[in-house]
Amino acid sequence: MNNHSHLLHPSHNGAPVILQVDRVSRTYADGSVTALNDVSLEIRRGEYVAIMGPSGSGKSTLLNLLGTLDRPTTGELYFEGHPLSQLRDLDAFRSRKIGFVFQSFYLLPTLTAVENVQIPMFETGATPAQRVKRAYELLEMVSMGHRATHLPAQLSVGERQRVAIARALANDPPLLLADEPTGNLDSRSGNDVLSLFDELHTQRGKTLIVITHSQEVADHAERIIWIRDGGIVHSRAEALKQREAV
Amino acid sequence: MHFLDFVLRNLLRRRVRTALTIVGVSVAIAAVVALLSITNGYELTSKSVYASHGIDMVVVKAGVADRSSSTLDEDLGKRLQELSGISKVSATLRDSVSFEGTSGPVPLNGWPLDSFNFDALNILPPGRDLEPTDKQAVLLGKTLAGNLDKKVGDEVEIEGKNFKVIGIYESGNIIEDRKAIMSLRDLQSLMDRISQVSQFEITLRKDLPDRTATIAVLRQEIENLKDEDGTKVGLAAQASDDFVKSDNQIRLAHAMAWITSAIALIVGSIGMLNTMIVSVLERTQEIGILRAIGWRKMRIMRMILVESFTLSFTGAVLGILLAFVMIQVLARFPAAQGAVHGGITMRVIVMAYLLSILVGLVGGGYPALRGANLPPTEALRYE
Repeated sequence: MNNHSHLLHPSHNGAPVILQVDRVSRTYADGSVTALNDVSLEIRRGEYVAIMGPSGSGKSTLLNLLGTLDRPTTGELYFEGHPLSQLRDLDAFRSRKIGFVFQSFYLLPTLTAVENVQIPMFETGATPAQRVKRAYELLEMVSMGHRATHLPAQLSVGERQRVAIARALANDPPLLLADEPTGNLDSRSGNDVLSLFDELHTQRGKTLIVITHSQEVADHAERIIWIRDGGIVHSRAEALKQREAV
Repeated sequence: MHFLDFVLRNLLRRRVRTALTIVGVSVAIAAVVALLSITNGYELTSKSVYASHGIDMVVVKAGVADRSSSTLDEDLGKRLQELSGISKVSATLRDSVSFEGTSGPVPLNGWPLDSFNFDALNILPPGRDLEPTDKQAVLLGKTLAGNLDKKVGDEVEIEGKNFKVIGIYESGNIIEDRKAIMSLRDLQSLMDRISQVSQFEITLRKDLPDRTATIAVLRQEIENLKDEDGTKVGLAAQASDDFVKSDNQIRLAHAMAWITSAIALIVGSIGMLNTMIVSVLERTQEIGILRAIGWRKMRIMRMILVESFTLSFTGAVLGILLAFVMIQVLARFPAAQGAVHGGITMRVIVMAYLLSILVGLVGGGYPALRGANLPPTEALRYE
């Protein structure tokens, strides 16, 4: 299922574009540092994309922009055709459309698993009872139903990441953004998380964008976007060369 | 899980800091409640001295800053008596003296023996009222007699002269029960203030249709009274409640109470501000995560404000309880006996809650703005 290139997987040829990045640049510190330079790309609904690149290549800047945590200096991002710069309430947009999975899980330490999963639902107007019901369903889905009332500190790292994935799915967003999701996990829990991603992609039609250093993680994706020095590496030869470097 | 549940757990995470902040706020609120209650209580008790005597108006010398230095000719009483609407006029010579065995000055009043002021005193057996034949005789309030450890028949030394305790009275008013009373003649000769009085007390006729209007008219008339040679006597007349309210001591007590309260509240608010700023700084990453997973700025602000309001409101509840205990303890202090009144009025409690809202807003407002405007990317540094 993998072709390890920046090219679109044939099965998504007819799918609508969910996220379009159009000539986006991002500079920091009064314009002297360019983290991302004139990047354009398209991600189609239902795609599973890995973003790879060495440290400092600009991939976290790209993830911040894709996740609307940050705004580009120049250029525009479009979500389902709508320019994001026109959106007045990016927070509300993010809570409905994007689920985040982080390398360090970032669960709130004082809340149990089932309470952590409810956090994003506060913005949706769901009643407390609805929130609890949905949180339990999501925990069941990630096979964590039996650990619902445990605090993060009482869970293994793999379990914590599964709770974090359940939290990312809380408001049923079409797009999941994961930043080194297996970076802090042993290989067995890492594989569990990757099969969960596969399931979300194939059975639930989620669009997944995963940032990773790991070829093993990237192998699960349908397409790999290589980033280097703030830009996308386009040629296959360049990509292969970079793969060796990583 | 409810939103409040979430906020409460944030506070419980830092128990010691939360507890100390609440203590800080509660001490500030307790200071406000205790001081306002004590000064309000003092004002109410002072008013009730006049009310229990049936006094409607008080006349003093115009323009005196300190009322105990007001000096009037006692014959003016007869002219006041002639004004229409007035039922009775009495005079009081006010002074204060120190007794052997008491810490502070004790108010001493001289009344004419026919004064209606005596009607408000309940002389306890075996004592009796002052009579025209009494020489060097004094009545002691119950509290004062207790403080001096004197019984009927004992002698007390006042300004170097010995006075016999003829009676001990109870008025039910803690200010009045700390006084000593003697005949106007005795006090005038004791203080070398022959034919002088400090003030006149007026009771109005019971059948007046509009007492407020009568008081206004009388006030004009009294303040415009003229001597035989046509110059103004220079009197100031006020309804007795206004007279008490405008008393310098009471005004000073209110001002001191408010200044001390304001300082306590500022200190409490700064403590709260400090706690909340540190707590927001510590949670930079957590706030970034909440923002990343979709919480709006408004909800972050609400979270921080609800935290600070929870602290200040809890502080207010504890502060009111603390003030209640403080007042009870103070009221039992021998030195403060009679000066401290044990009640906290609803008005003061409502004010304490309103002030706690202010403390919460001051302590939480800036941290809330700061927390809400933290860029989520600050918290989430990848790689």
